[in-house]
Amino acid sequence: MWQYRELIWNLTATDLKNRYQNTALGFFWSLLSPLLLALVLYFIFRNLWGREQDFAINLLVGMMAWRFFATGTSSSLRAIVGNSSLVTRVYIPRQILVLSNVLANIISSLLEFIVLLPIIFILLGYLPVTVFLFPLIHIIYFWFIFGAGLLLSSLYVYFRDLDQIWQVVTQVLFFCSPIIYPLTIIPANLMPYYLLNPVTQLIIMYRDVMVAGDLPSLYSIVVVIGFAIAAYLVGSLVFSKLQRRFAEEI
Amino acid sequence: MSTIIVDNISKKFRIPHEKKNTVFQHIVGLIKRQFNYEEFWALKDVSFEVNKGEAFGIIGRNGSGKSTLLKILAKVLYPDSGSVSLDGKVASFLQLGVGFQPELTARENVYIYSSILGLGRKQVNRIYDEIFDFAELKKFENMKLKNLSSGMTVRLAFSTAFHAVPDTLLIDEVFAVGDESFRKKCRDKMDQFKAEGKTIVFVSHTLNTVKELCQRSMLLNEGRIITMGDTEKVINDYLAMLQKKTI
Repeated sequence: MWQYRELIWNLTATDLKNRYQNTALGFFWSLLSPLLLALVLYFIFRNLWGREQDFAINLLVGMMAWRFFATGTSSSLRAIVGNSSLVTRVYIPRQILVLSNVLANIISSLLEFIVLLPIIFILLGYLPVTVFLFPLIHIIYFWFIFGAGLLLSSLYVYFRDLDQIWQVVTQVLFFCSPIIYPLTIIPANLMPYYLLNPVTQLIIMYRDVMVAGDLPSLYSIVVVIGFAIAAYLVGSLVFSKLQRRFAEEI
Repeated sequence: MSTIIVDNISKKFRIPHEKKNTVFQHIVGLIKRQFNYEEFWALKDVSFEVNKGEAFGIIGRNGSGKSTLLKILAKVLYPDSGSVSLDGKVASFLQLGVGFQPELTARENVYIYSSILGLGRKQVNRIYDEIFDFAELKKFENMKLKNLSSGMTVRLAFSTAFHAVPDTLLIDEVFAVGDESFRKKCRDKMDQFKAEGKTIVFVSHTLNTVKELCQRSMLLNEGRIITMGDTEKVINDYLAMLQKKTI
């Protein structure tokens, strides 16, 4: 992969340029929608959970963490089918297409989190020291999304309704993660299963290091790293099996 | 010494009676037990070698397997059996301007296309001016690609491809573009490559170009090699075959 680094970077930059259409404001438009959504959700749920500690900040952090999952998986799903000429007309290792797509998404996500920092500072009055652990969590998150992207994009070549199926799965996952409600409302007997959701664990970890100022729990770390490794292994295995017929099926 | 060794490759395409493209259709197919597809051998037991510095032509009718063969050489398709070995750096021109982005400038596109062809940024910097001079597009380097005419786009693609040259070129019928003077420039460039000892595999319907460029050629029909050897003789065989078909 190292010898293709310039190609990977060029494709990533192209993706970002196309996304933000060469304008400086482009990025801020894409930032505006999650912020507005968070604002709306805050006003809706304020009366229900407004007294929960740091509900507004937790909502924002949860939304941003969620966005990387939602946009990362749904856009990498199209990384192969959407770049058909790079698959059928020229040889490059096809993992590159998924990798550069996820890289573009993590850069967007990083920018969004950076914008979040001053907001946290204003709402909280300070920034926890543990915020320096954020990049580490994001790197694990990246491998998780990359693995999922490899799996989804290669299956999408063969099953063209996967995008619709995935949309439904994403929606279910959104409500199965503690974004718009606090963890405390989950019944105790369901909690062990609930905590197996890697997105839940990631959101908890981000809140630990960015809001509460705690170190993430060992359990969270194990679940998240476990899912990242599993996603990457399964994803690369399926991808390398299926990619042999990409040019015929696309 | 051979740079390209193709050993006994076969390629089979599955042509389903009904193309199943969704999870839903696959489930329905499983329940109804429909697995029927027809098999079609696009290539059958094809073996040949191309020596270093040689220009090798592949001719044949539509659907004879020429493009499939070239795609296998380019590693875009995988053969079902047999093996292919290629030495050195290979660039395939199955289509020009792969990865061109209409929303980006000509300059940015040259860098993207070059990196797809395997060139690093520093190498592109060195040949950057040459690329734009050859394409005669110096004035337009900062224009978005979508604002260039289709002819200009093709010239830019050609010029980039020609300057990004590796040891081996795989070319599929991409000559019939541009005006006469640009075509002549391309022809000259090809001769230069030959003189520099690059290996070229050339698929074309334009028999004259094949005759001019390639010493040795191969005639494919229905996925099998009919004749291989001196280009003159292969072309005569091809013409004889076409005549027999029309009678």
